[in-house]
Amino acid sequence: MATRRTFLKLGVAAGLAPALAPSIASAQGAGRVVVVGGGFGGATAARTLKALEPRLAVTLVEPNATYTACPFSNNVLANLRSIDRQQFGYDGVTKAGVTVAQRSATAIDASAKSVTLSDGSTLAYDRLVLSPGIDFDWNAIPGYGEAAAQIMPHAWKAGAQTVLLRQQLQSMDDGGVVVIAAPANPYRCPPGPYERASLIAYWLKIWKPKSKLLILDSKDAFSKQRLFQNAWAQLYPGMIDWVPLSKGGKVTSVDPSTLTLVTDFGRHKAAVANVIPPQKAGAIAHQAGVADRTGWCPVEPVAFESTLQPGIHVLGDAAIMGAMPKSAFAANAQAKVCAAAIVDLLAGRKPQDPILINTCYSLVAADYGISVAGVYRPDKGVLADVPGAGGVSPLEVVGGFRGQEALYASSWFRTITAEVYG
Amino acid sequence: MRLMVLPALAGLFLLAGAAEAAEPPPGASSCTGCHAPMKVADTVIPRIAGRKASDIVQFMREYRSGAWPSSVMGRIAKGFDDAQINAIAAWFAAQPE
Repeated sequence: MATRRTFLKLGVAAGLAPALAPSIASAQGAGRVVVVGGGFGGATAARTLKALEPRLAVTLVEPNATYTACPFSNNVLANLRSIDRQQFGYDGVTKAGVTVAQRSATAIDASAKSVTLSDGSTLAYDRLVLSPGIDFDWNAIPGYGEAAAQIMPHAWKAGAQTVLLRQQLQSMDDGGVVVIAAPANPYRCPPGPYERASLIAYWLKIWKPKSKLLILDSKDAFSKQRLFQNAWAQLYPGMIDWVPLSKGGKVTSVDPSTLTLVTDFGRHKAAVANVIPPQKAGAIAHQAGVADRTGWCPVEPVAFESTLQPGIHVLGDAAIMGAMPKSAFAANAQAKVCAAAIVDLLAGRKPQDPILINTCYSLVAADYGISVAGVYRPDKGVLADVPGAGGVSPLEVVGGFRGQEALYASSWFRTITAEVYG
Repeated sequence: MRLMVLPALAGLFLLAGAAEAAEPPPGASSCTGCHAPMKVADTVIPRIAGRKASDIVQFMREYRSGAWPSSVMGRIAKGFDDAQINAIAAWFAAQPE
């Protein structure tokens, strides 16, 4: 417990104290919070704010009428699921008392505390939450721009891109090579490219068994690596070839007209090419001045307030969250902590030091799940792993362990989407 | 007796954390990502809202020690000490079932 008290003191010393002065909002007993981005982070934050403090005026700014979830979208590629089961509307968010503005946020003025929307209107706020997700760095891979993504889909924002990649897989001749280009860290969903490779292999093995899958990777290690590689050897022997950075895995350019991916070590002709490019925080974060040179958004680890712009909190994939990975589970957990902290700050109270959990399941086959979990708390100004906790599924298991984790994965998806959108 | 002691412990902990009573204690809000606050169809993950605090405490301790087998819960429980577990258990016990 001595360490806990130390953290509390550190939290005060780290610059939270100025935010503790009672604001005008607290004098009125409520306040105005604008949340930008209706994904797992933003929608959770909006609902939790309203649940914890019903007197708050909470507006969620999201241009799309439906959200298409990325978790489980690899199942869509393997024809285990239809895309409409990934899609969620905002009726539940509205019924929870949140005002949903179906617009884009086009500009943020941090000093005036206002958000400009695509229709020219403005929203004033006492606290702003940005949960903009990712944008792609279209300059990172020569030849790979937005037009090329219609030929070599990224499918890293679920929706039309997911459906396009599935169509390409289904129309491919048996015996072709599917190439997945995986980015360097950090990026959305660290185990995602390898779950994708697994589930595409699962589908190929049934429908196009002479086909192969090549992963060209810009890094030398990846999340749940031994679990994935052991499962590939067991379930899909000889089908998946992973080329790490040190063996020429980094894709240096692409030629969409010939479906060719170029590395320093050679050229790879694909039947289907899935290029997952490097990423950065969504555009509005850059416009607001909360992103740094890395392209991501530094935040303090208690209320996730930007260290660059006071009064703006950043959540989910766009934020630099220390040891926490960029996942839907993490965004949801961060949003609940952030919402509670904002309620405290608006009321002139000091937010408590949080503990957060992340759990990420990956499917290696329809009935074969693996997981990674972690527990996090503020330490020296960042979210750090709680020592001794967390880790991945065991390498050796007995009985129905992998099947049980696959069931937990689908149960998690139903629960979290009910909590956020139901 | 144990049931009476737990809420008292939780209360002390909340005071130490300088948070209001309605706010979940550290760690608790992450749990609902899997353990639904509302009834969800077709899930194998049990709800914990409204469960007896002593039951939640016992499960967390046994997950942490490995006495009760688990997939992710053992790895998660190792991140919490007794006081933190007691506060989380008391909070979930007070939520509507």
